[in-house]
Amino acid sequence: MLKVNELHTGYGKKPVLFGPSLEISKGKIVAIIGPNGAGKSTILKAICGLIPVWDGKITFEDSCINDSTPAKNVKRGITFCPQGNRVFDELSVNENLQIGGIYLKKKELAGRIDDVLQLFPMLKDRLKQNAGTLSGGEQQMLALGRALIPRPKLLLLDEPSLGLSPNLISTAFERIQQVNRERGTAILIVEQKVRKVLKICHKVYGIKLGKVVFDGQPEQIRHDERLRQIFL
Amino acid sequence: MNLMQLIINVIYAASIYAVVAYSYYFMYSARKFLNMSHAAIIALGAYLAFEIKKQLAWNIFIVIPFSVAITAIIAITVFLLIFKPLQKRKASSTKMLVASLGIYLVLQNLISLIWLDAPKSLCSWPVKRGHNILDVYITNEQILMIVVSIALLGVLLLFSKKTTIGKSIRAVASDSVLADVSGIDSYAVVLWAFAISSGLGGLAGILIAIDVDMTPTMGMNAFMMGVVTVIIGGVNSILGIALAALLLAITQHFGAWFIGSQWQDAIAFVILVLFLLFKPEGFFGKKVKSATV
Repeated sequence: MLKVNELHTGYGKKPVLFGPSLEISKGKIVAIIGPNGAGKSTILKAICGLIPVWDGKITFEDSCINDSTPAKNVKRGITFCPQGNRVFDELSVNENLQIGGIYLKKKELAGRIDDVLQLFPMLKDRLKQNAGTLSGGEQQMLALGRALIPRPKLLLLDEPSLGLSPNLISTAFERIQQVNRERGTAILIVEQKVRKVLKICHKVYGIKLGKVVFDGQPEQIRHDERLRQIFL
Repeated sequence: MNLMQLIINVIYAASIYAVVAYSYYFMYSARKFLNMSHAAIIALGAYLAFEIKKQLAWNIFIVIPFSVAITAIIAITVFLLIFKPLQKRKASSTKMLVASLGIYLVLQNLISLIWLDAPKSLCSWPVKRGHNILDVYITNEQILMIVVSIALLGVLLLFSKKTTIGKSIRAVASDSVLADVSGIDSYAVVLWAFAISSGLGGLAGILIAIDVDMTPTMGMNAFMMGVVTVIIGGVNSILGIALAALLLAITQHFGAWFIGSQWQDAIAFVILVLFLLFKPEGFFGKKVKSATV
């Protein structure tokens, strides 16, 4: 579904990624793990079109999306939840969900919002409330909900557990698994909570200093010495 | 001066501040930099209306929409020629400010060259004494300004809450990166915001020029008060702007009553400093968080 081949990119003139390659198939959860500053989030930003690709190739469903903008990628079926479950603080919960499908016709959008509210019924009572006043767990639901409105084929999640209390983190991961199971959405997730993410993913990539240092099934990786070493 | 007259004067002054501030609000929401060229756009609106009225002798209410549209088109052209390339190069807000100051100087001098520096009036009808209601004087021009500012408050609130463009501008104002990844074309949104702001800026200039004379530098004073109003109101709130305009006008006029009208502008900037020190987020704004990309 998505192939990243020898990706080179960075910020300004500073390179961050030095040719990592990865792949994600339909309906799977793939995790990217690694220490701070390894370039995990940068991979997601390059895929969704927030930063330019310097070299290498990103293909989604057999078309090259190197030069695609975030708006075009949303229409293609790639949505992105930036780090820390960001929501539009000053907009109501309903408006946040509407923004997720801003390009859709009114009727279609209403249907999509109903869909998301079935998945996260807790948001129903909060529709008119400003998103900035929601609790951390509710914001996580809303951030996920907003990204699901376009019915993405691939969902990019950047540290969904960031800023959540320990008991909310487990719920957040259950929710992500639920989205994958019930909707068949492929998920590429960047996480620092390694043990938690290994429980829900089908494949894992270890990144260090902008390069892939290992990849494999979570069961293989869990007891692998390379997993420990990547954080040293 | 009686108290009722003072209150009417306050409402009139607040209306001017609010209309100018609304005009600045949209562009500042979408692209956060102090766009000084907006001051020239305010004056340009008034001078275009003056020229159209002189050449075509149309009724002022037909002149207004035409001038507003032409002002917006000129401002968008300036945006595409200067701000767009700067934005592409990811210029900082400071660089954008300096560029906007340059544009202001060029536009203001062009206005001086074309229409000369002597004050001009949009008012071709004889100056009449205002209506006397319960010993309070108010002119038709002042009533027009107050009505437009109240109507704009309603229209802009509805626009930003109910329309796709309005919601998109608020989303970009709240978190432009999140707006991008949500599928909003933030470049188109910024363009819309500049067009709306410039049109409203032109309208503000015309309304001011209907009541008092116009000069090429008239936009700067109005613009500065508009910026103060937006900051006090909280940069993300139309209702906050209306309240801030009222607060500013009340303190300025009551202050002037006690200490003299020459202190009016100083009072406005004292209020600005007090807000920046003790309530920097303004009436309804939120504390600014730094966003990471």
